[in-house]
Parts: sequence; C-alpha cells; structure tokens
Amino acid sequence: MKKYLALLVVSALLFSVLIVGCGPGEEAVAEGQDLVIAMGAEPENLDPLKMMSAPAATVAEHVVENLIYLAEDGTLKPALAESWEPAEDGLSWFLKLRQGVSFHDGEPFNAEAVKYNLDRFMAKGDFEGGDAAVFAFLLGRVTEVEVVDEYTVQIHLDDIFAPIASHLSHSFIGMHSPASLEALAAGDYVEAPIGTGPFKYVSWDRGEQFYMEKNADYWGGAPTLDSVTFKFVPEAGSRVIMLETGEVHAIMAVPPTEIDRLEAEAGIDVVFQNSVRVIYIGYNLEDDLFKDVRVRQALNYAINKEAIIATIFQGVGEPSSAPIVPAIFGYTEAGPYEYDLEKAKDLLAQAGHADGFDMELFHPTGRYPQDATVIEAVQAMLADIGVNASLTTYDWGTYLDTVIVPPDQAEHDAYMLGWGTVTLDADYGLYALFHSSQWPPAGNNVSYYANDEVDALLDEARVTPDRTVREGLYRDAIDIVWNDAPWIFLHNEGQVNAVRSNVKGLIHHPLENLSAWDAYIQ
Amino acid sequence: MSKTECVISKLPTPQRDTELRQVWRHLRRNRLAMAGLAVLALFLLCAIFAPLLAPYDPIETNYDVALQGPSTENVLGADWLGRDVFSRILFGSRISLTIGLISVTIGMVIGVPIGAISAYYGGKLDLFVQRLIDILIAFPGILLAIMVVAVLGVGVENVMIAVGIASVPIYTRLVRGSVMAVKEQGYVAAAKSLGIRDARIILRHIMPNCLGPIIVQSTFQIATAILWAAGLGFLGLGAQPPDPEWGAMLSKGREYIRTAHHLTTYPGLAILFMVLGFNLLGDGLRDALDPRSRKY
Repeated sequence: MKKYLALLVVSALLFSVLIVGCGPGEEAVAEGQDLVIAMGAEPENLDPLKMMSAPAATVAEHVVENLIYLAEDGTLKPALAESWEPAEDGLSWFLKLRQGVSFHDGEPFNAEAVKYNLDRFMAKGDFEGGDAAVFAFLLGRVTEVEVVDEYTVQIHLDDIFAPIASHLSHSFIGMHSPASLEALAAGDYVEAPIGTGPFKYVSWDRGEQFYMEKNADYWGGAPTLDSVTFKFVPEAGSRVIMLETGEVHAIMAVPPTEIDRLEAEAGIDVVFQNSVRVIYIGYNLEDDLFKDVRVRQALNYAINKEAIIATIFQGVGEPSSAPIVPAIFGYTEAGPYEYDLEKAKDLLAQAGHADGFDMELFHPTGRYPQDATVIEAVQAMLADIGVNASLTTYDWGTYLDTVIVPPDQAEHDAYMLGWGTVTLDADYGLYALFHSSQWPPAGNNVSYYANDEVDALLDEARVTPDRTVREGLYRDAIDIVWNDAPWIFLHNEGQVNAVRSNVKGLIHHPLENLSAWDAYIQ
Repeated sequence: MSKTECVISKLPTPQRDTELRQVWRHLRRNRLAMAGLAVLALFLLCAIFAPLLAPYDPIETNYDVALQGPSTENVLGADWLGRDVFSRILFGSRISLTIGLISVTIGMVIGVPIGAISAYYGGKLDLFVQRLIDILIAFPGILLAIMVVAVLGVGVENVMIAVGIASVPIYTRLVRGSVMAVKEQGYVAAAKSLGIRDARIILRHIMPNCLGPIIVQSTFQIATAILWAAGLGFLGLGAQPPDPEWGAMLSKGREYIRTAHHLTTYPGLAILFMVLGFNLLGDGLRDALDPRSRKY
C-alpha cells in the first residue's frame, strides 16, 4: 500500500513539473485570450478621411497600420516602411516598404497601395477634386507620391519639410486595402477597416463595442490574444464598476476620485502615463476685451493651476509651462504663470478694468477629463479678480462647430480646448495653433492669434533640417507666445488607466492610445 | 328693493367664509397634510432666511476641504470645489421654490383662461383649441419642457417658462372639464337670461366653482415642476454653475457617489422632502375641498 502511495506522489510531482515546464515562456498564459477594454468615447469614424480623435486612433491602429510607428518612448520605428531617407536636396523622401505583407483581404501591400492611400488622404492624383481628409494638413507640403518600384515610394515636397516622417506616423494616415476602399459606394466611409494589422475587424456595434480577432498571418508574428473588444462606456463610474466586477480587463480614463480606492484593491493595477495634450482656455483675440496683453496675462495669474491639479485631478498632471508638453521636440520651459491675485488685480487695473468685467466662456463637457469641473473652478477663481464668466456648455460635436468658426461668427469671448501634439514635434502643436495662416475655417488657430515674428519663426523651423537650429527657433516662438498670452494656459493632462493584474503587456501610449497587440492574459 | 332680494344678495358672503373655515378645519385634522405643510413651511423659511442661516457663501470655494464628508465645519460636507453643501442646499431651496411657484403661475395664467373660454363657448372653437392641446399632451411633460429649453436656451428663467408651458395643457383640460360641468347649472342659465356679459359670468359665477380642482392641481403641479426643473438641471439644461440648483448638484455629485456620497444624498433628500411636502398637502387639500369626502 505504502509503495503505491509513494508512486502516486512521485508521479503527481513529475506531472506537475511537466505541466509547468510546458507553459509558453516564463509565465503561464490562461485559456481564454479574449481581452475586453472599456473606453469613454466611441470613434467618430474609422475612415482616414474622417478620423479626428484619440479614441478613433486607439481602435484603428489594431487593424490598420501606418508606414512609420511612433513608439511610446517617442522614437520613430519602422512599420510598413522599413526605412525613410530624404533625397539630397531635401525636397523629397524615399520610403522602402516592407515586403511580403498582405492586407486582411489577401491583397498585397506595395507601393501602389501606399500611393492610393496617400492620394486619397490628400485628394490628389486620381482623387483630385474629391474631399481631402480633415487632417490633410499633415501632408500639406506633399505635392506628389511617386511609385519608384514595387517596394519604393518617393514623396515629393514643395519645400523642405523637416517633420514629414513624424507626420507620416500620425494614426490617421493608416494603410487600408485599396480594394476595400474602391468597393465603397460614393459618399460612404470605411465602416469595416481592412488593413495589415495584428487584428482583423469582425464587427462594430454602434454605441456598444468594436470586436476584432487575431491575424494569425501577421508579419510581425501572430499576437497571443485571440480577440480584442473595445466597449464604449461614456460614464466613468460604470467603467470602474465593470473593471471591478471583471466584466472588462482594462479601462481608460479612471476618474481621479476613484484612483486611491482602485489602487487599494487587490487584483487591479492603476497605470499612470503622461499625455501629450495641453488643456487651455483660448481668448477670442478679435474681441476688444482681450486686445490688451495685460488683461490676458492678468487672467493667467488669477488661475490657481496647482489647486486644480491637486483637488480636481488628485495630483495627476501638471500646470502648463509652455503651449506644448515637455515630451515634445522643441519644448522650452516658459512658465508657468504663478498664481498671484495681487499681480492679476494690478494688471487688470492698469488695463482699465479695476472692477473686472463680464465674459462669455464656452466649454465642452465629457470630452476632456473633468472638463466641466475645471471650468467651474476657473469661474470661481476669475470671480476673485472681479471677472464674471458666464458658462455655456455644449456636447463635443456641437461645441467644435460652435467655437471653430471664422472671427465674424464667434459668439464667445473665450473657449476651452485641448491639443495633443501627437507627432511629438513642436511644428504640429505650434504651427496649427499659432500661425496666422491657420485661422478657422482653414485651421485650428481658434484664438485668431497673429504675430509676424511668430509666423516667421514657425515658417523657418518647418524648412530647417538641423534639429538644434529648429529647437532654437521654437524656443523663441514659445517665449513670444507665452508672453503674448493668447490663452489662459491651464495644465498638461495626465492619463490614468486601470488594468486587472492578470493582464500583461498592454501599451499605455502618451498619445492616449491603449494598445493590445503585445498583451496576454495570465 | 324688497326684503327678499336683500337677503339673497347677502347670503354668499357668510357661506364662503364657512366654506374656507370648513376646509381648514378638515385639513387640520389630516396629520399627513399637516406634516406636508410643516415641511413646506420649513423650506419656505430656509429660502427666505438663507443668507442668515447659511454658514458659508454657497459659491465660496475652499480647496482644502474639497470632497470631505460631514464635519463640524461643514455639517453636510463639502463638494468637489470645497463649497459647503448645507449652504448650497439652503440657497438651492430658493431656486426650486421660485421655479415651482413661477412656472405653475405661468401654466395657470395661460392654461386656465384657454380652458374656460374653450369650454364655455364650445363648438368649433372648443374643437380647435382642444386639438391644439392634444398635440401638446402627446408629448410627455418633461420632453415638452426639454424642447422649449432647446429653443429658448438654458438657464433658470427659461426653465420656468418651459415648465410653465408644459403645464398649460394640464390646466386647460382640468378647467375645461370643470367649466363644462358648471355651465350647465341653473344659475348660469339664469345669469345668461338676465343678460349678464359672458366675461362676468365666467369670472363671477363659473370660476369660483372651479377653484377647488385648480388649487389641488396646482399643489401637485408645483411638486411636478420642481421635479422637472431638477430633471432639467440634472441634464445640464437648467441652472448653470455656480448656481446651487439641486438637480444640477445631484447630477455632478453622481461622479463621486462611491467616494463622497454626501454630494448626492443630501440634495436628493432635499428634492424628496420638498416634493413629498407638496404632494401630502395636495392630497389633504383634495380631501378637504371635496364636500363628499368630508367626515363630520
């Protein structure tokens, strides 16, 4: 009897060693590799022509890839392009494409496909006269995309344009199967994206979820996960509950008040990541109220950014010290405007507003973390220097149509917006927001800022290949903008996501993307 | 002038007095109604004396106590900007009561004459007016109010107008029913045959007999108006920050329900008690004004 028992124990031990030994890698992978992520906003569209937001980018990049990938450490990595080099004159770039890649529908990925996608994005070549992408300005300097051979593309520019590689990494310039785009009826946009990515589109239930399954033939090696589902849950509290009950594996944008509680909970990891987004209140500079720079600076001094970060964001994020965040190439520390009520009152008095004034402040709700709460705090702080701001709230879509308008249609004195410099290059943050050629409706200079010196510096930085020289140009531009104060500079956003502890390998990207291709469930 | 005429013309006065006293006597015996009345009196006092009773300015921020629960400094805790919840609820009672009373007045001023005229003249006018009212009734009240706010824009004043307009059909139908019943009475026919003008008949002879239902309905309608206004505030269509409107407080407090429940509990209780107060009083008034339900 004892003999049998000993045999049983030994064989059991052996068996268990075998099982452990068989696991893939050093950590055991659980059975069902079906990852579910809850995010706040649903993509407005997944067609490169219509994409406008980080949620759209997050979902799309799992299915559709870019030529160049901007990694979370800020470096540009080869994706569908293996290399990119400028021609000697700097007026064109050669892209060597990855070979042997095919789209999910079996179509080959090659130079023709790249030309097709870029031409469609810019409404050039065969697409001349059609609608260009909302973000076509990313390739505004591109005159022509030339197919050199099957795996080489030459991109021609109208002038030297230093940040072109960064711009090509923008998530909205994904490579879709030309056959799938051709199949679209006139006026239709991509609903079922077909790319080359690690996951294949399966279904998109509007208002509910986006479901995709793994691409076993992925050129970079098939992902461990069998499927990824993005659920759209606008209510932050609901997302938290879904994570706690295990209905989802990860949630984006944890409400600040829940951070401490979630951190204390076993089985849940709270992940903090920087963001490339600044949040600001822009003045309508065409408005007589804000013609005087002292008024613009006074309001900056009146806002207690530290208190907003500490109270409303529970310490996540930091007061803005420039119009772009420190992680961006070209950043210079210019501020912050220290909270100083006396100085604010003095400046207002000097400008002839000793008793303050009334203003109309427009803001979105539910778009940026705690946006409405921040505005309420700003309103209270402005009241301390006699500035009476009346608030007008809009939902996101209406809001953009209301504030991004030419000066003669503007109803607001000031507006709240955020801007993520997602190319990690100052050009994208400064040119789009402060160059006088970018006033709406053409661009995103919603404050109607115009300064010849800044224009000249930004123009020069665009065509200067030398990074040190460019850095100097941006430093000068940032200093001028900072002192001109076309905005009330608020804060640099911080991202807070939460993940169940058995999920490993998620990429929490500073661009506010959550990427799952390297993830697995333990 | 004969003796008989003299007696008849004097009769109504003592009778009305007795009626009012009877209603009051009956109401006083209804414990629930008196509880409702007491709650409302308390809210009314809070609203009137809010600046004296509130320990803090309702919009004064103090970031050091943000989101802290009830304490000796802030008896009902502080909100996300460190504003005192108790002070905000006190001042909020002003907003809710004002919205309730003014919107019901608006609804009554428009709805009652339309209903009375429509019922009194009847015929094609009645048919036309009632089809218009049908259209309004087809929309649930709160939806109608949302539509009106969407047209007029957000804000407390527009909420009053919106809720007022949304209560118009209720009054119109109510008054129409009452007037139709009363206008068949002999004394109306008598008044008509005496050649008294229609306006005078409606105002002096018909309306006083329709007052009961209107008073009862108004009490309930104030409660409904407060709820609708809170609903609009909850949706962000009512009072705008930093005004301490209860519905808006509740809506914003929802974000903190797991960590700072006092931001939803107390404004919620305030709405509950005020609406309950009006409903209890309304129930009592209905019984008291209905001669059949009076027990002696």
